[in-house]
Amino acid sequence: MQQFANPARFLKIANAALPYIWSITAILFAIGLYGALVTTPPDYQQGETVRIMYVHVPAAWLGLFIYCLMGFFSAVAFIYRHPLADAAAKTAAPLGAVFCFLALVTGSFWGKPMWGTWWAWGDARLTSMFILLLFYLGYMAVWSSIDEPTRAAAIARIVALVGVVNVFVVKFSVNWWNTLHQPASVIKMGGPSIDKSMLWALLTMAVAYTMLFLALHLVSMRSEIAARKLRQARLIEIGNR
Amino acid sequence: MDFSAAHVSYVIAAYSISAVCVIGLFLYVLLRDRALAAKLKQNAEKDTL
Amino acid sequence: MLQQALALITRDIVLARKQGGGLGTAFGFILSVMVLIPLATGPDQILLSKLAPGMMWLALLLSVLLTADRMFQQDFEDGSLDIMAMGKLPFEIVTLAKTIAHWITVSLPLAIITPPLGLLMSLDISQLPILIVSMITGSLALSLLAAIGGAVTAGLRRGGLLVSLLVLPLYVPVLIFGVAASTASLGPSSSTPALIVLCAITLMSLIISPWACAAALKAYLR
Repeated sequence: MQQFANPARFLKIANAALPYIWSITAILFAIGLYGALVTTPPDYQQGETVRIMYVHVPAAWLGLFIYCLMGFFSAVAFIYRHPLADAAAKTAAPLGAVFCFLALVTGSFWGKPMWGTWWAWGDARLTSMFILLLFYLGYMAVWSSIDEPTRAAAIARIVALVGVVNVFVVKFSVNWWNTLHQPASVIKMGGPSIDKSMLWALLTMAVAYTMLFLALHLVSMRSEIAARKLRQARLIEIGNR
Repeated sequence: MDFSAAHVSYVIAAYSISAVCVIGLFLYVLLRDRALAAKLKQNAEKDTL
Repeated sequence: MLQQALALITRDIVLARKQGGGLGTAFGFILSVMVLIPLATGPDQILLSKLAPGMMWLALLLSVLLTADRMFQQDFEDGSLDIMAMGKLPFEIVTLAKTIAHWITVSLPLAIITPPLGLLMSLDISQLPILIVSMITGSLALSLLAAIGGAVTAGLRRGGLLVSLLVLPLYVPVLIFGVAASTASLGPSSSTPALIVLCAITLMSLIISPWACAAALKAYLR
């Protein structure tokens, strides 16, 4: 852990790793998209609509994963008080929010032909995803409304940690609420009974999305470190005047 | 992929919005990084003068 | 320690009574929501009685939310919080005491006054007792979660909107189980399970909230 905690060393490792990560991302996207759009068969029930799965599921996975990651970085920052962990949590949030948003929109594009409605409150996953997006927006709002960076970091950590605990409670509540109000018209989507011919493409897309996030996250962290240096330089300049 | 199948427009819409958002995010992150790096370099040159 | 905490609670209650405003305004807010809902949905009695428990809960939690951003702000601005932070009492206990004072002066009275207003929305009268019980149980959780929002925005000039964005998602479980407990008496199921989960959520908030408030306020006091 301590090895990565030094910003200079972090930048060195990130800069060395980034070209490889970008190439792996590009290759995986090429294979995954070819699989998703060309080689995988249409579903016998859903037809071509099933292809939305290949962009919906990875986005949803990242939406959840990034939130947990944000909680992890916030916990590290809370315990070790290291600014780099704060930067990691801060830069992860907008990326997670975008993937969360994508999961919602593609989910609704999937829902319209399948359920006949753009939005089904009867689906617990859609509802919890929506609330997760709100948690992302709240976290980002904290960073943007507190000017002083160390103070913003300290507050944001707490908001993230409280949020992580609550996301699980929200998920549980929404699931429970759903069983309470199960409308007969909503078609329950099948469980993970995905055929092998589709699974490999889905997994490839999921890994491709994750690698893309990793690359974007490293670049955003690099920008964040640069922004901090610039801010410090500006403060010194003002002080010298 | 069969483009004459039913509901194919939803598939196209889902893929296009994913592409737009992901590429937009990619460009935003990279351009911001480049701008900040350039500024940082400029600052360093100013200091050495 | 208990004595000090009790003294702090008493101080806040006295202050709230001397200054007034908070509770009255919140009650006025609930009343105006009660007027607006039938105007928005139409005067259909059956629809209104179906909506009533959910709408009452919504009015209650929005009114508690409106008082959240002032919870720590005043003590933060006049420096009392600095002195409390330097005192012997653990800061978590200080925030908990202030939250309990908020519960006693705002949330609890609102939770007791709100259910009878449901009669304006043709609420089934047999639901009234369980609505009161669930609202009283949930009101403590509402205060505790509002305190987190209040603490996080204590040092901000305009924290109101941020408080709503942060706290409303936290209110989701309270809302779900509160409404479920209030409506279960109409159906075949009992309202006990929902009420127990509501208690569990309240207890969980009781653990998280003082810690989060203390940590957030310390970031402002430093």
